[in-house]
Amino acid sequence: MSGVWLPCGDYHQTYSEDQGWWQTTFIKTKMILLLAIMFLGIPLLAPEYWVGVANMVGYTAMGALGVQLLIGYTGLITLGHAAFIAVGAYTSTLLVLRFPWPEFIVHWGLSYPISIIVAGIFAGFWSVLFGLPSAKVKGFYLILTTMAAQFITVDFILTQYVSRIGGRGQAFSLPPGTIHVGPWVIDSDRKIYYVMAVLLTLMVIVMANLLRSKPGRAWVAIRDNDIAAEALGINIVWYKLLAFFVAGFFGGLAGAFWISNTAALSPEHFPWFWSLWLVGVILIGGVGSIHGTIFGSLFMVVVMELLQWAVIPLSEYYPKLLIDFAYIKDSAFGLAICAFLIYEPNGLAYRWWQVKNYFNLWPFSY
Amino acid sequence: MELFLMTLITGILVGGIYALVALGWVLIYKCSGVLNLAMGELTLIGAYVTLTFYEMGIPFILAVVCTLLVGVALGFLTERIFLDKLIGEPILSVIMVTVGLSFFFKGMVEFFWGTDTRVFDPPVFAITPINIGYIKISPVYLWSFVLAIVLLIILVAFFKYTRWGLSMQATADDETAALSLGVSARFVYAAAWAIAFMSAGVGGALLGNINGVNISIGYLGLLVLPAVVLGGLNSVPGAIVGGIIIGILQNLSGTYLDQFFPGGVKQIMPFAFMAVFLLFKPYGLWGWERIERV
Repeated sequence: MSGVWLPCGDYHQTYSEDQGWWQTTFIKTKMILLLAIMFLGIPLLAPEYWVGVANMVGYTAMGALGVQLLIGYTGLITLGHAAFIAVGAYTSTLLVLRFPWPEFIVHWGLSYPISIIVAGIFAGFWSVLFGLPSAKVKGFYLILTTMAAQFITVDFILTQYVSRIGGRGQAFSLPPGTIHVGPWVIDSDRKIYYVMAVLLTLMVIVMANLLRSKPGRAWVAIRDNDIAAEALGINIVWYKLLAFFVAGFFGGLAGAFWISNTAALSPEHFPWFWSLWLVGVILIGGVGSIHGTIFGSLFMVVVMELLQWAVIPLSEYYPKLLIDFAYIKDSAFGLAICAFLIYEPNGLAYRWWQVKNYFNLWPFSY
Repeated sequence: MELFLMTLITGILVGGIYALVALGWVLIYKCSGVLNLAMGELTLIGAYVTLTFYEMGIPFILAVVCTLLVGVALGFLTERIFLDKLIGEPILSVIMVTVGLSFFFKGMVEFFWGTDTRVFDPPVFAITPINIGYIKISPVYLWSFVLAIVLLIILVAFFKYTRWGLSMQATADDETAALSLGVSARFVYAAAWAIAFMSAGVGGALLGNINGVNISIGYLGLLVLPAVVLGGLNSVPGAIVGGIIIGILQNLSGTYLDQFFPGGVKQIMPFAFMAVFLLFKPYGLWGWERIERV
């Protein structure tokens, strides 16, 4: 199938076509253009400030991908994902700062890349540990166990014990130049952007491929009807734990990325509100859609930036608005979640789908 | 032994406040099936509103009454604006709307009242501890407990003997039957939220007297979740017992476990306990058991 567009309706003749990623030349061109913009356009042309905003979008999207996998595809509601991001960030930091690497690894700048992968795996297992109750409880009770994961991990273990390693008190400092990838020192927003872009692209590819293969179909089956899924021979516990592992792994990668974007790592970067924020992102973007995750992150970060700009002229009359902008942001986010759930429960991805369908079916939509 | 008794009694007294807030939570859940994660923020609002009235020179008890009125108004508004449109939606939507509300309320509280710790000045309760036998208890705890218990009794009596309370019970029991008997379900939902705001508000005011008013009151309000899980999500006596047990557990772990795990054991213990408890008895002590294959 290499038509420029698909005719009205679904006209695939083989399964491999049906499962194909880039089904028409048009989509292929679009995706290549998108990748070109992502890897060349933004880092080379956008001003430094917007590259920094893009980094935040990427970080949010990385964290939200794991949440999307759990909530949107497996139906396991989690309100503690920041804990796994934090575990990833701390694992990576400790490995980079304190692990006695052999000389050649440091020389080749491999310690950070290795630590990213180790952080992912460790966060994955940590997530499985708190996913274990999902074998026995679901719904609201699972929400509570994941909340417990957040409080136990971040507020207790990380704040009270891990942060004390090295006797520095609360934060690990990561001066610019600590993080190397190969020969490059990650010290500017543009370089951070490349780390983010590569990681995010890989994560999206892995997730999309997982979702169109056996585990993905098993997850969706569990989400839609767990009893029917079990009757179909799906090992529910195993697949739920696998979902927790993959989500935790993504969270770990996000955390490991975060340390390249910050000068000091402290538990305050991963409050409970960050977990809730990530869930809000996927709700606004659209539950059960990878597009939705990206849309949600873009919407949340960019709209908040625009809101800040909107506040600046107002602050001449009422300066408190700008000083306490963080609180306005929280409130606006809360209202946005409520508004989306009430008026557009399918999220931005649904709007996107409608727009696409309109053009696909045009001019004979009936 | 003396230490143990003192910890135990403080735990019971603080637990009384948790029980009050937990009761508000259970009410919303029983009447409308909404699992409310914004309870911490409702507590926070209550604490700040009371503080504001108190700083205007109104006596504490009157300030609490004013808070109750504000709570009723806010509760009705919240229900009408946000929750009313979500009746019958999936559980995640409803929970996340309450999460959205919690963001909204928290942001507003921080914006209008700031984040510094503020205390009731002049102090409402005397500072010198009262001696009962050899146990010393500071009057804040005692009076808070008394007030909490009085309110609990009023609330329970409200459910048992008044027309509105009975119609709320009827809706909780069987919505369709209640509707056919002429109970307005929409009014009941709004009333449940109003009562939740009221109970959380008083809880917040009392907690604010113990440690001063700041954002961490919201965290204490969140402790109702372990309490209601322990008692069973839809059980009023369960909420009261659960609240008191969580209070005791928190204080005992603060006294005895702190030497082994220095730091925030006191804050974490209720949640850790809840996570383990859920594995063994997810429906709590007196909750309805809905047996489901997972």
